[in-house]
Amino acid sequence: MSATAARAAAPARRGARFDPRGLVLPLLALIVWQLWALTLPHDSPAPSPARVIATFIELVRSGDLPSALAMSLGRVIAGFATGLATGVTVGVLMGAFRPVRRVLEPIIESFRPVAPMAILPIAILWFGTGTPAAVSIVGYAAFFPLLVNTVHGVSRVDRKLVQAARTMGVSRPRILAKVVLPAAMPSIMLGARLGMSVAWTAIIAAELAVGSKSGGGNSGGIGSMMFVFYAYSVDLNGIVVCMIVVGVVALLIDQLFRAAEARLLPWRQ
Amino acid sequence: MEKTQTGAKPASRDGDGPANAAPQRPGLPAMLLEIPGVVPALSFAGFVALWWAGAAWNGNSIQLPTPPEVFGALVSLARDGELFTNAGLSLSRLIVSMSIAVLIAVPLGFWMGLSETLRRYVDPTIELLRPISGIAWIPLALFIFGVGGVLPVFIMTYVAFFPLVMNTFAGVRGADPKLVAAARTMGVGRLRITARVVLPSALPTIMVGVRLALAGAWSAIIAAELIGAPTGLGFAIEWYRELLASPKVFAYVGVIAGVGYLADLALQWLQRRLTPWTVGGGLS
Repeated sequence: MSATAARAAAPARRGARFDPRGLVLPLLALIVWQLWALTLPHDSPAPSPARVIATFIELVRSGDLPSALAMSLGRVIAGFATGLATGVTVGVLMGAFRPVRRVLEPIIESFRPVAPMAILPIAILWFGTGTPAAVSIVGYAAFFPLLVNTVHGVSRVDRKLVQAARTMGVSRPRILAKVVLPAAMPSIMLGARLGMSVAWTAIIAAELAVGSKSGGGNSGGIGSMMFVFYAYSVDLNGIVVCMIVVGVVALLIDQLFRAAEARLLPWRQ
Repeated sequence: MEKTQTGAKPASRDGDGPANAAPQRPGLPAMLLEIPGVVPALSFAGFVALWWAGAAWNGNSIQLPTPPEVFGALVSLARDGELFTNAGLSLSRLIVSMSIAVLIAVPLGFWMGLSETLRRYVDPTIELLRPISGIAWIPLALFIFGVGGVLPVFIMTYVAFFPLVMNTFAGVRGADPKLVAAARTMGVGRLRITARVVLPSALPTIMVGVRLALAGAWSAIIAAELIGAPTGLGFAIEWYRELLASPKVFAYVGVIAGVGYLADLALQWLQRRLTPWTVGGGLS
């Protein structure tokens, strides 16, 4: 059951030389798409690259897109912080104390295959259709990669280091803070990066589903913006703009966490 | 491309945690705890007890039904066959989309691994699409395919594609060049080298990709069915939420977990059959 943990490792090919051959396919797709769109009647809702760009500019200018994005990001950060706090705490306890791990592991393992989206109906029952429901979904989604990787990191800490610290009379809390946590840090950072990318996917899903299933209530956020474009204003260009923004944000988040890893864990390079 | 399975396993039986002191004195209770299955059973009992206590304290069976209510709902859903219809539909969508994804992604990843030219052309496009999650495709796909069975299959195929292609590529690239060179000096043809040398050495990594793809697809199907399908587990769970039939919602959550877990078990079995030499090698 290494699914969440092993999603790791996106290719780290940054810094490779720029190769124009890579542009051929995307450009070709764009050209074909635009040409195809030109053959359609003028009032067709079908998206085209030119209209997508126009819609993007319009959405940014009207402030709709930035505010939806801010809403979604705020929820992701709140949910991620919840997942981080609980995931790392439980993870350290499980990694450091074997009895805790033996007791909690079966329960954690049986919740792991429950997709965050399956929790959504329950979250709506408990918290209604607003921000708390979305935040709890994100927290749930981020929890598992963080937990699994923290447990992994903590239980792999070199025992000699711990014993050395103990023979020198270092107290347990200090060992945890000064020996165990730094040694487990690479794993925890990996968990954080995975958790954040799952969280970003989850917020879009949650907002989409809340939009589509709660009588069309617009709860704000980029996912619900997409749903409004789908269900009410039938604006496919808007949907494509949102998709691209979602992708770009995912990429930026990933880069941010990689940069943080490089800064915080320079010895790993 | 860095190998696609870092940080794999939560490393189950690799010795005690660092701060673990107190060697257990073998009393009778401690010995009972050493029997396999006792501790999990106890922790499940504790979990159910906590849940029950919470439900009793809450007293609102719409918010938090009690364990017997959920169990009863599960039994009645199973009895009238609805559970198996929905689970079967979701599972068959999962199998269809996994098959499509494997048929597209594995040959593509293989080819990319063998041909640097192709990789240069295709890889940036994959990297451009990959950050756009399958979920974000749902509204557009709803528009194209409408509400129905095609939408979840499309979304899941998309989600499953990326781990498959990347792991296949990594596996092919990871094939030992010495083995390939040895085969070539012995005059083995290119096709045979691919089939007999490269494929077996890439297979473990590909299988890891299959399991990742399955986990991703299974989590995406719930979203896809919940939003855009009139049948399936994701639909059912939301349907009963709207009817405020919470015991059935909770029962379906359990079913979703169960089916996902069983599908992964099946893949683990397949993994052991196809690549028995990796068992215990830390690849899973």
